[in-house]
Amino acid sequence: MIDTTRARALAEEALGFASDAGAEQAEALVVATDGALTRFAGNRIHQNMQNEDTEVSVRAVVGTRIGVASTNRVDPEGLEACCRAAAEAARLAPEDPSFPGLPGPRPTVEADRMAAGTLGFDAEARAAAAGSLIAATAAAGGVAAGGVARDHTVTAVANSLGIHVAMARTSVRVTVLATGAAGGTGWASFTGLDAQELDAAAMGAFAAETARLSADPIEVDAGTYTVVLAPEAVANIAQFLAWYGCSAKSVDEGRSFMSGKLGQRVTSPAITLIDDALRASAVGLTFDYEGQPKTRVTLIDAGVAATPVTDSYWAARTGRPNTGHALPAPNAQGPLPLDVAIEPGDATRESLIASVRRGIYVTRFHYVNIEDPTRVTLTGMTRNGTFLIEDGVLTRPVKDLRFTQPALEALDTTLGVSKQRQLVGDEGAALVPYLLLERFTFTGRTA
Amino acid sequence: MRRFCEECLDAAVAAGATYSDVRVTDTLTQALSVRNGVVEGVSSGSSFGFGVRVIADGAWGFAASSEVTSESAARIARQAVAIARASATVGARPIALSPLEAHTDRWAGPCAIDPFSVSTDDKLKVLFDADAAMRAQKGISLTTGSMSFLRERKTFASSDGAFIEQEWVESSAGIACYAIGEGDVVTRSYPNSHGGACYQGGWETIAALDLAGNAPHIAEQAVQLLAAPLCPKSTTSLILDGSQLGLQVHESVGHPTELDRVLGDEAAFAGTSWVKPGDLDTLRYGSSAVTITADATVVGSLGSFGYDDEGVPAKREYLVRDGILTGFLSSRESAAAIGRQSSGAMRADGWARTPLVRMTTVSLEPGDAGTLEDLIADTDEGVYMETNESWSIDDRRLNFQFGCEIGWEIKGGERGRMLRNPVYTGITPEFWGACDAVCSRSEWRVWGLDNCGKGEPMQVAHVAHGAAPARFRNVRIGVGR
Repeated sequence: MIDTTRARALAEEALGFASDAGAEQAEALVVATDGALTRFAGNRIHQNMQNEDTEVSVRAVVGTRIGVASTNRVDPEGLEACCRAAAEAARLAPEDPSFPGLPGPRPTVEADRMAAGTLGFDAEARAAAAGSLIAATAAAGGVAAGGVARDHTVTAVANSLGIHVAMARTSVRVTVLATGAAGGTGWASFTGLDAQELDAAAMGAFAAETARLSADPIEVDAGTYTVVLAPEAVANIAQFLAWYGCSAKSVDEGRSFMSGKLGQRVTSPAITLIDDALRASAVGLTFDYEGQPKTRVTLIDAGVAATPVTDSYWAARTGRPNTGHALPAPNAQGPLPLDVAIEPGDATRESLIASVRRGIYVTRFHYVNIEDPTRVTLTGMTRNGTFLIEDGVLTRPVKDLRFTQPALEALDTTLGVSKQRQLVGDEGAALVPYLLLERFTFTGRTA
Repeated sequence: MRRFCEECLDAAVAAGATYSDVRVTDTLTQALSVRNGVVEGVSSGSSFGFGVRVIADGAWGFAASSEVTSESAARIARQAVAIARASATVGARPIALSPLEAHTDRWAGPCAIDPFSVSTDDKLKVLFDADAAMRAQKGISLTTGSMSFLRERKTFASSDGAFIEQEWVESSAGIACYAIGEGDVVTRSYPNSHGGACYQGGWETIAALDLAGNAPHIAEQAVQLLAAPLCPKSTTSLILDGSQLGLQVHESVGHPTELDRVLGDEAAFAGTSWVKPGDLDTLRYGSSAVTITADATVVGSLGSFGYDDEGVPAKREYLVRDGILTGFLSSRESAAAIGRQSSGAMRADGWARTPLVRMTTVSLEPGDAGTLEDLIADTDEGVYMETNESWSIDDRRLNFQFGCEIGWEIKGGERGRMLRNPVYTGITPEFWGACDAVCSRSEWRVWGLDNCGKGEPMQVAHVAHGAAPARFRNVRIGVGR
C-alpha cells in the first residue's frame, strides 16, 4: 500500500507524461486502496477477503477537448500509455465550448482521517469481531449474518495549474443481522474511522434483542400512519433527496425538486439538510476529485430549498460558487453531496415514540428506489424490526410493509427530530437523527 | 501466464491450502457519452490483476493484488491462506465442493468487428446523429446517448488441475430523451433504459441498433407522454414488454433462485429468498405457462461464457418448468450443500473480488400467444407497459413494485390512450401464477443487463434475460395514486 508521498509522486509523474503527450492542461487522480472484508452468515465466516490496488486516472485537455483514461499499471510504461490514451482521446473529441478549463489551486484542508486501530484491524481481529457479533444470537438459538469491513485509502489529486492535494483515510463498516429462533430479525450497524470504537458485543446483543422482539409479527393494513424512522431509514431519504435533487446539474436541467423552487419551502421548518465533509464525524475526503476544497453547503435550510452543490463545470455554467463536489472525470452525474447530514433536534428516540398514539416504528428500509424525481417519490420495504406503536409504546412487531411516498411531503409533516444521530452507510455515509413524521403512506405488505 | 498461475497455486499449497484457484484478469474498457449535443465524456480504462482463493483449515480465504509478479504470487497466496485460517476460528464447518472434472481449454465470445478498432469519430457520429434526431422534436428538454465497450481476458487455474483461458468483448449503447413540464419529468429510452442494449459481441451489434432511426419515435412519445393522464389505480390485466419482463424475471425469479441466497449467505445485505432447498420439484412458482431457464450458452448474450469462475463448463438448466421449481443457480459449495451438481453460475466482478452465485441468461421461455398485437387483441381490458423506470423488491423477493416509462390502456382488444408513470405491484408466486399467456418465439429476444449488484464489497455482474411479452391477470396498478 502506497502512502500519500508516493501517491503525490505518481500524480506528478502522470502530469509529466500527459504534457509530453500533448495535453495543454492535465489532471491526475490517484486512488490506492487496501480493503478487507470478513463476511459471516449462518454463524460462521463464509467469505473473507483482502485486496490491494492503485489506480491512476488522467484527464487531458486540448483546447476545449477532453479525454480521460485510467490504469492500474502504475509503472512508468503503464502511466505513459495511459496518458497517451487520454491525450489521444482529447484530440479526437469534439470541442466543448462550455468547458471552463481545469480549476486552479485553492486552500484545502487535508484532514487526518487515519486511525492506527483500523490499520491493525487484521483478519484475526476481524474474525474476533465477527465472533462477538454472532455470540448473542447464537446463544439464543438463532443465526447471525453480517460483515466486518475495514478500508485504507490514499487519494491524491494534482493538475497542471498547480493543484497538489493528498489524503489518507481509514474506515470501518460493521453490520449484523440477527435472525432469532422464532424467526424475528434485528439489525445493528457501525460506521467510523477507528475500529477501536467498535463495540461488537453490544451491537450483537442489540440485534439479537430486536430479533427476539420481532418474532410472530401481526399484519397491519396498508394506509397512512404516523411513523418514527430510525437513522438507517432516515439515511435513505436524506441520500435520495441529496443525490437526486441537490446537484446544480439536476436543478439546472429541471429534473430536481429544487428546480424553480429555490428559496421556497419544500419541507417542514424542522428539517435542515446540509453537506459538510469537514465535520468531525465525517469519513470522506475534504477535497473533491478535482482537488477543490469541499465547503459546507446548506441544501435545505429550515425547510426551504437553499443551495445545490457544484463542481468547476457546473459552477461556471450556473454562475454559482464552486462548492467542491466534483466526482471523478468523466462525470455524467454532475456534482454530488457525499457527506450529508440532517441537523439534530432536541427530542430523544424515547420521547418521539412516547408521543405517538398509534403508528409504526421503522428500523430500516430495503431496496429503496425513486419513482418520480421531481417529487422524490420513493418506494421500498421495511426490514429487520418494524413495530406497531400504541399509546407511546412499541407493542407488537408487524409484517414488513411497502411504502410509496413522496419524500418531501413526508418531511413536511415532521413533528420531531432527535438530538441523537448516527452515521449510516459507507461511501457517502449520512449523519442522521430519528424522525417523527405525522403522515407516511404504506401501500402494501409482504406475503 | 501458466507459470504465474502455478506459482500462486504452489505457494498456496505450501502454506497449507487444501484447495486453491487463481484468476488473472486483464480488462480494457471504453465509454463515450453525449448530452444535448455536447460530448460529456470520452474515456478508456484498463485493469490488470489476480486473485487467489483458497480453502485452509476448512474455511475460505481470498486475496488479490494488481501487482502481477512472482513475488506477489507467493505473498498473496500466503495472505489468502492466513485469511482462511482466521475464517476457521469462527464456526467453521467442513467445506464440500460438488465434483468437477478439471478442464484445460480456451473459449472466446463472438465478435465480428472489434469495437476498439472503430474510430472515436465514427462512434460519436452515431451518438450525435441520434441526439440530433431526438432534439429535432419540439418539446424535448434533454437528450442523452452513451456507448461502452469491454474486452476481458481471463485465465483460471486450480489445484484440481484446471487451466482455462477465456476472452470476450461486450458492446452496449442507448439513447434517452426527457420532456419536462410543470413539476413533471418523463423519459423515453431506446432500445432500453439504464444505458440501452448490451451484448456480447462487437461493433456490429451497435450498428444494428439504428439509434438515429429510432430516435424520432421515442422523442415524439416523450412529448405525448408529458400530456398523457397518470396511470389510474386499478386491479386489471397487465401486459409487459420483453425488456420490462426481463427485469421482472431478474428480480423475482433470478435472484430468489440463487442458492447462496436460499441458504442464507447473502442475508445481511441483499437478503434471502422465499424459496427453500426442499421446495425443489414441488413448489408451484407460477402457472403452467411459466418455464424459466438459466443458460450460459446463448450466443451473443451478456450472460454467456465457456466456464464459470470455478472452472465449471457453461450449462443450460431449467429453474422453473411448466410452473414448478426445478433448479437453482449454484456454485460447487452451495450445490454440494443440497446434494446436487454446480449449475456453473459462480462469477466474479474482476480480479479483486471473490466469485458469487450470479445469473447467466435467465429467460422466460416463449409461449404460443403470437405477437404482441395478437396478445393485446386477445385482452378485453387492461394496461400494456413498456421499458423499466424503477424497481424495488423485498428482502425475500416476494413483494415487488416496478415503474415503467410508458403505458397504454387496453379496451376491447385495442391499444387505447397513453398513460404516464405506470406502476404495478405484486407478490412473486401470485404474479407468476397469474401469467396466462406468453408471446411466441418470434417476439422473444435477449436483453442484456450490465448493472446487477450483489455482495459485499458490491459486485456488478453482466447478465441477460430472454423474454417475449406476456400477460398477467388481476395485477394492482397505479400504486400510490
